[in-house]
Amino acid sequence: MSITVNIHQALRRITNNQATVEVAGSTVGECLTELVQRFPDIRSKLFDKKGKLLNYIDIYVNAESSYPEELAKPVKDGDKLSITLMLAGG
Amino acid sequence: MLTAQERERYDRQIMIQDFGEEGQEKLKKARVLIAGAGGLGSPAAIYLTAAGIGSIRIIDHDRVELSNLNRQILHWHEDRGKSKVESAREKLIRLNPDVKIEAIRDTLTEATIDHLVSDCNLIVDAMDNLPTRYLLNKTAIEKNIPFFHGAVYGFEGRAMTIVPGKSACLRCVYRGVIPEEKFPVIGVTPAVIACIQATEAVKYLVGIGELLINRLLVYEGLGMQFTELRVKKDPHCEHCGQATRKE
Repeated sequence: MSITVNIHQALRRITNNQATVEVAGSTVGECLTELVQRFPDIRSKLFDKKGKLLNYIDIYVNAESSYPEELAKPVKDGDKLSITLMLAGG
Repeated sequence: MLTAQERERYDRQIMIQDFGEEGQEKLKKARVLIAGAGGLGSPAAIYLTAAGIGSIRIIDHDRVELSNLNRQILHWHEDRGKSKVESAREKLIRLNPDVKIEAIRDTLTEATIDHLVSDCNLIVDAMDNLPTRYLLNKTAIEKNIPFFHGAVYGFEGRAMTIVPGKSACLRCVYRGVIPEEKFPVIGVTPAVIACIQATEAVKYLVGIGELLINRLLVYEGLGMQFTELRVKKDPHCEHCGQATRKE
């Protein structure tokens, strides 16, 4: 089971400048857990202290928002996850 | 009815299939609100003025600072210290004296917004913070005014068109808040995004093309990629849904 996670530009220093990371998992949450295991510094950028996804982070699965299931959303082999951050600048 | 001078000025866009003089007349009758005279507001205002929008109301409470000038292209070196909307008005009326430019130096708040958006056909979101964007989004939905969203950070930008009653709104897509902070940006990023917002506004007013509704367009300048994220109207959205969303 291979899922491609697209890493937002602002987080790529944490992933050693990798734009994509291959992970395994059957839900969005499992995929992000593996991402955090490999790149521990990304945890605080994605989750609050209780392990809830920060409210300015959205995970898209194959270009569709995972909300409202979010971490529980199932994924399958070949899916593409995109970590997006809210933008407010103008 | 267009004047002979208007026919000549707008000749190249009148030539566009399905645009015609009828489309130009629609632009002439339009009243557009541009919320913000900064990085996004500057190019949006320039292109909408050049296109011949009848009336543009531009709102901003800030004054021009040196650090604005890498991206806020309506404001020039000699404008430092001047109110942004006055600086904008001076340039826009020189670009196209036929367009009525209403420059309002004010802050969009719960108390002022009803008055400030009154009589507008559409709103261009050129703000620099989420609370005001949410306020504009909510007001646009309540008043059934199309809302053209854009936002930038660094080399990245996003755009989406919100048509109340027909599409997902900004609050369907963004649920949280991020702290107001000084954000990095290169001037070409808001230029790209504001031109998309202006394109959408013109299309909406003329009634042609396919709008960027239920689609969040993501521009990534470093990789030079445009990506489309599909968004859905949230039935529990606190702005456009039928029930209040739980945070």
